Amino acid sequence: MPPELDIIWRNIDYLLWGRLAQGELGGLLLSVVIALASGVLALCVGIALAILAWFSTGPVRRVLFLWADLIRGIPLIFVIFWVYFLVPALFGGNIPGTVSVILALAWFTSAAVMYSTLSGLQALSGGQREAALSTGLSEIQTLVWVLLPQALINLVPSYVSLFASLIKDTSLAFIVNVPELTMVASQVNNRTQLYPTTIFLFTAAMYFVLCGGLSLLVRRLMRRPVTASWD
Amino acid sequence: MGFSVDFAGVLSGAPLHWLLTGFLTTIVVTIAASLVASLLAVILLGLRISESRAARVGAAGLIELFRNTPFLVQMMFWYFAAFGLLPTGIRDWINAEHSWATFPGNIPLVSPEFIASTWGLGIFSAVFIAEEIRAGLLALPKGQSEAAQSQGFGHWASLRFILLPQALTNSFQSVVGQYLNLMKLSSLATAIGLAEITYQVRQIESYNSHAIEAFAVGTSLYLLLGLAMGRLMLAFAPKRRDGRNETGAGNAA
Repeated sequence: MPPELDIIWRNIDYLLWGRLAQGELGGLLLSVVIALASGVLALCVGIALAILAWFSTGPVRRVLFLWADLIRGIPLIFVIFWVYFLVPALFGGNIPGTVSVILALAWFTSAAVMYSTLSGLQALSGGQREAALSTGLSEIQTLVWVLLPQALINLVPSYVSLFASLIKDTSLAFIVNVPELTMVASQVNNRTQLYPTTIFLFTAAMYFVLCGGLSLLVRRLMRRPVTASWD
Repeated sequence: MGFSVDFAGVLSGAPLHWLLTGFLTTIVVTIAASLVASLLAVILLGLRISESRAARVGAAGLIELFRNTPFLVQMMFWYFAAFGLLPTGIRDWINAEHSWATFPGNIPLVSPEFIASTWGLGIFSAVFIAEEIRAGLLALPKGQSEAAQSQGFGHWASLRFILLPQALTNSFQSVVGQYLNLMKLSSLATAIGLAEITYQVRQIESYNSHAIEAFAVGTSLYLLLGLAMGRLMLAFAPKRRDGRNETGAGNAA
């Protein structure tokens, strides 16, 4: 085996799942776990915020949008800094780097989920809401039983592309020394100092397979507009 | 709360000096990378919408490659791998002292860190800018290009005079958003040792542990820069001629 490939082969377990045998999750597997955990959190928080924004007017709505713009206006790396340093300072004790990265990514992504969900709700035809209200449903029932189910199905492609961005964003965990794929790859590179091209191309290929697969999925979902299956 | 806030540790002496040069470095690398991004975006867009199938497929592949890998990994690739593949003569020249190419505040413009950051940010953003403009083109009604063709316009002439001006007007806000994104992404150049705002903020944090204050100042600097950039770029927004109103607020972050 040529030495350029041998370097990957000898470190393949470390790159893919870190020191899993010693109980320390790392590498690609940790990247995926971080993305999944923060994705689920961001989806729940983002949809909850969208519901809040849907019903609120005036100051509450303005604060929500200001909050979302603020988060989107600063580099993600600073959101991670804030969670990593501010949470222990406010509540005492230390939180593990992995947890702070999950919280930071969830916080950052929930703003985007809120925006997409709101625009998904607004894209529904106005007749849907009026018809639901005229059958005697309350505003809350209308949203939960009529509008959200339709909007959420239409929104599946945009949620999937947000998840692909989330996978790429997990690479920023290097800033607080979390051993996910990018961190582990740069450790291997620092230790060997020999074949940076192979190491970083391999790392890029791992992300490419995951995110490229997801964007293919998005394209297929977009081609066939999904219709609600219960009508 | 378990901490007290003291901004004097950040806004005086050496830390203040670091922050100022960091701020300047962020501005300089953002401008340089924006120029690279604009140039590459034009080339990519040209290939992506050309009449040659090979050019279209090649450009599409390149775009997918850059869109589906993390920017940080791309940056590390350019700095640790691609730089080493350059001929020794060029590497030695880049590594040498260049007093003529040093920006006030001791910011070296010809250094591996600055060149890798500028190139990495430039090509990454170019991909997104080209795709935003292409999306603007695809959103135009089919009648526009058919009308141009029936008037005798060729492929490039109809693009230049009929389609691209409309596409640019439609996608202007999203394109501005991509340049703002470039500025925010420059924070990741800290990973390869470019001494911009984020690098300096972390230096202050390890120098006198005024972490919270340093992060607060760093955050405000990025917000300020984003607001200023957004205002400046939207001032150049093309006027719509179809009577539709401009949508969106001042900060297209």
